[in-house]
Amino acid sequence: MLKHFRSLFRVLKSRRAFEQGMSEELRFHIEQYTDDLVHSGVPPQEAARRARIEFGSFNSVQEECREARGLNPFDELLRQLRHAARLLWKTPKFTATALVTLAVCLGANLTIFAVVDSILLRPLPFPEAGRLVTIFNTYPKAGVDRDGSSIANYYERRGRIPAFAGVAIYRYGTAVLGEAGSTEREQIARVSPDFFSTLGASLAMGRSFTDEETTPQTDKVVILTDAYWRQHFHADPHVIGRQLRVDGLWNTVAGVLPPGFRFLSSEARLYFPFSSSPEERSPLQRHSGGNSKHMIARLKPGSTLAQAQAQIDAQNATLEVDDPQAKMMADAGFRSVVAPLHADHVASIRPALLWMQAGAFALLLIGAVNLTNLLLIRASGRAKEIAVRQALGANWMHVVSEAIVETTLLTLAGGLLGLAAGAGGIRLLSAFGTDRLPLGSHISFDARLAGVAVLGAVVLGLVLAVPIAWFNLRGHLANAIQSETRGGMPGRAAQSVRHGFIVAQIALALVLLAGAGLLGLSLERAMAISPGFRADHVLTGQISAPWSKYPDWPARLAFNARLLKEVSRLPGVSAAGVVNNVPLSGNNGKSAATVKGHVLLPSESPRGHYAYGVDGDYFTAMGFSLREGRFLTAEDSRRSSRVCVVDEDFARYYWPQASALGQRLFASSDVTTDADSFTVVGVVSAVKQAGLTDQTAQGAIYYPYALRTDDKLFLVLRTSGQPDSLAPALEKLVRQIDPELPVNDLRSMDTRIADSLVAQRSPALLAGIFSVIALLLIAVGTYGVLSYAVAQRRREIGVRMALGARPEQIRGQFLALAIRLLVVGEILGSVGAWVTARAMRTLLFEVPPLPVATFAAAAGVIALVSLAACVLPSHRAARISPMEALAEQ
Amino acid sequence: MGKTAELLPGTLDLLILKAVSLRPLHGYGVLQRIQQISGDALEIPQGSLYPALYRLEHQELIAADWGVSENNRRAKYYTLTADGRRRLREETAGWNRLASAMAAALKTTPEEV
Repeated sequence: MLKHFRSLFRVLKSRRAFEQGMSEELRFHIEQYTDDLVHSGVPPQEAARRARIEFGSFNSVQEECREARGLNPFDELLRQLRHAARLLWKTPKFTATALVTLAVCLGANLTIFAVVDSILLRPLPFPEAGRLVTIFNTYPKAGVDRDGSSIANYYERRGRIPAFAGVAIYRYGTAVLGEAGSTEREQIARVSPDFFSTLGASLAMGRSFTDEETTPQTDKVVILTDAYWRQHFHADPHVIGRQLRVDGLWNTVAGVLPPGFRFLSSEARLYFPFSSSPEERSPLQRHSGGNSKHMIARLKPGSTLAQAQAQIDAQNATLEVDDPQAKMMADAGFRSVVAPLHADHVASIRPALLWMQAGAFALLLIGAVNLTNLLLIRASGRAKEIAVRQALGANWMHVVSEAIVETTLLTLAGGLLGLAAGAGGIRLLSAFGTDRLPLGSHISFDARLAGVAVLGAVVLGLVLAVPIAWFNLRGHLANAIQSETRGGMPGRAAQSVRHGFIVAQIALALVLLAGAGLLGLSLERAMAISPGFRADHVLTGQISAPWSKYPDWPARLAFNARLLKEVSRLPGVSAAGVVNNVPLSGNNGKSAATVKGHVLLPSESPRGHYAYGVDGDYFTAMGFSLREGRFLTAEDSRRSSRVCVVDEDFARYYWPQASALGQRLFASSDVTTDADSFTVVGVVSAVKQAGLTDQTAQGAIYYPYALRTDDKLFLVLRTSGQPDSLAPALEKLVRQIDPELPVNDLRSMDTRIADSLVAQRSPALLAGIFSVIALLLIAVGTYGVLSYAVAQRRREIGVRMALGARPEQIRGQFLALAIRLLVVGEILGSVGAWVTARAMRTLLFEVPPLPVATFAAAAGVIALVSLAACVLPSHRAARISPMEALAEQ
Repeated sequence: MGKTAELLPGTLDLLILKAVSLRPLHGYGVLQRIQQISGDALEIPQGSLYPALYRLEHQELIAADWGVSENNRRAKYYTLTADGRRRLREETAGWNRLASAMAAALKTTPEEV
């Protein structure tokens, strides 16, 4: 077999040389024979004649030789390709319509598939990445679904879970690199020594961290990413041991990572040891994961996720025996969950992505149905030709292969155009924010995608060929030839197939439109939600004051006071405040709090709440409304008064009947002495910390900044003009106060809210685009089929009009046909839309279970488009002149 | 020219392999050589020679190369490949077995039954 392909390939490589060589060889034979005959005494003319006769037909010998070399199928294929190309060239309108349809439908699918492939399908870039897992703590009954893992968890699990080959802990952060005057803030990660070995990543140079480097006194070592090494050390091969200033302290370079290293969606450019104190490692800190510390592990070969989970559960149970917090944690529903790392990382966007792929696929189906109809119409135009050829002996294989060649040629060309469209589509998607998705920066347009495009095009070509081949083969031979004089009446079956396809198309489009409508409705509902504050005219920016320079709260308060004083002097600033976490920042960590006098019901557990430290006029700057009492002020912070403000959600939960003012609470999970308590002095509007669509009334507590300092702080300014216009002045001012402190993440609150809705907006926009394309396809499809029906029935219409039918009757007949198809399609589509809406529920926000208005609107738009598309053909039908129609033939 | 025999199906390939095994030949040469070694007893239809040559080349039993003929013309010369040599050996053995079996069968007299 292989030999044959080799031989065939040699010939195909130089086909012309083969043909020339063959003629030359055969001619040589005849001439030699002629010469020999002449030598034996035959007269030259007679010799030539005899040589030719004995040789036989030159052409048929050539043909047999080609067949002997296995060339026939190829010659046939080439012939069919040329034939198909010629036919397509001769019908430019059809070809253009088909190519545009294919380019758009395949392009949309490729675009979405590129995203799905990069994010969901391709394994993480580590050896045997399928064995990587993440472990997080959950306290569902306390309203905390996910709380990372604690340092204590790490030290307790390291080397003690048999199913794990390695366990590591990490957290993201930022650091100020360089010396005063030329500092830069860089994304960093702090990782335990076994982080890289757990991932299965080896360093390009140097070494990983050691256990000795995990205390705050000894952690001044750094591992650089390849990019940082190239940019800041000019790819110095002797970089190991060189010094780098980080947050004002000297660190030694221990290693350099290989070029492709990328951990999940991390932007970290430098890695530091995850150092911790003995207190942080103690069992008392077992439950202080706090969403910033994350654990990964690698399953041993042969171990399963279920085994790992069972071992973690067993260990937790053992540890609980002498844990004083055990009862409370059990009440909170505490559990440690082992989940596959990749799946867990992309879980939030998986449904949306899959739905988008489904939407794109629906579009492709609509396009394919459209094409099938157009191809069927074309085929009926050629029915006679094909019937005659079959009668003359063309076999069924031939008819089938001809259909396949034609459709595949079309879909391959469309696929190439689709590839180009897909490349553009990916660029468009990144404008929608796909690169901010988990693993979004991995999205690539490469050979793999091109392969998928070609494969998809070929499969589509084969599928499209089925109805065409069926139509051409169906025993309508006699029919088609007989119908010579009637211009080839379409077979009833072919007509019902075409109508069935129109119905399917309308139904699919309705599902797509209804889906898009629901996403749009959901986005609208989400945007209508108040975030709990007046978001307009608020500028926010993040400043990380390093502990090394601002070691205690008086130093931090002094910094805040100076910052706020100077900022208030900026023109256009009406209020300024400081908070350690702004709403919608993406950090939704919750802290335990206990209310004095609140008795837990048997089913109730201590709850986690959002906790903030505020300074200056934070509430006024952010635009919170005061419900009761007063706001916290800079004065509270300066005096570190033990007072706090809670939000409505919090107040309603704990004191549904009474006033919250004067009540006492503790910033811990149990009640201690009154000296540690905070007195509630005010109640403010409820905040949507996690996102506008977050419906859990989590409750929030605001403490004076002095009592809840953090290395991060957000500066919040209420402005009279455009908030963004103040950004440059703000950056300059902060540099004047401390040249080492850059301002990060400078955004207005309006922008933050808009950005937080990207998960709702992008699918809605995309589905909207798909819907518009689907409508265009429907218009083309309906128009094409109706026009064809009119053209086919010209004679019939002519006769009827000659017999006295009025133009309105003719027009009405075609409109009635269109309406019948539309109604059936929409009924089927409504059922599909209803099923889809139910399946999409997780993606939708506050959408009614039976969104009649949305469905009706979608159905109305489709009705409008498809009826508009049949106005022209039916009008044309009504204007057929009986004389002309009958005179044709 | 003596009495000629019709070729049995499949024997043309074997004859071509045999002819080419003696020395490289062009197509016309193959024809002449077969007639020569069969003592002009076998008649090869000229037109069927080339499809057979092309088939054998396709199976890589013979290889073709352009060379120069006795009368200084460009001609395509065929040689036997290693596969072809093996095939020739097998087919010759097979043919001989068949031939001797046929001969023995046809020689049988009533007494031997």
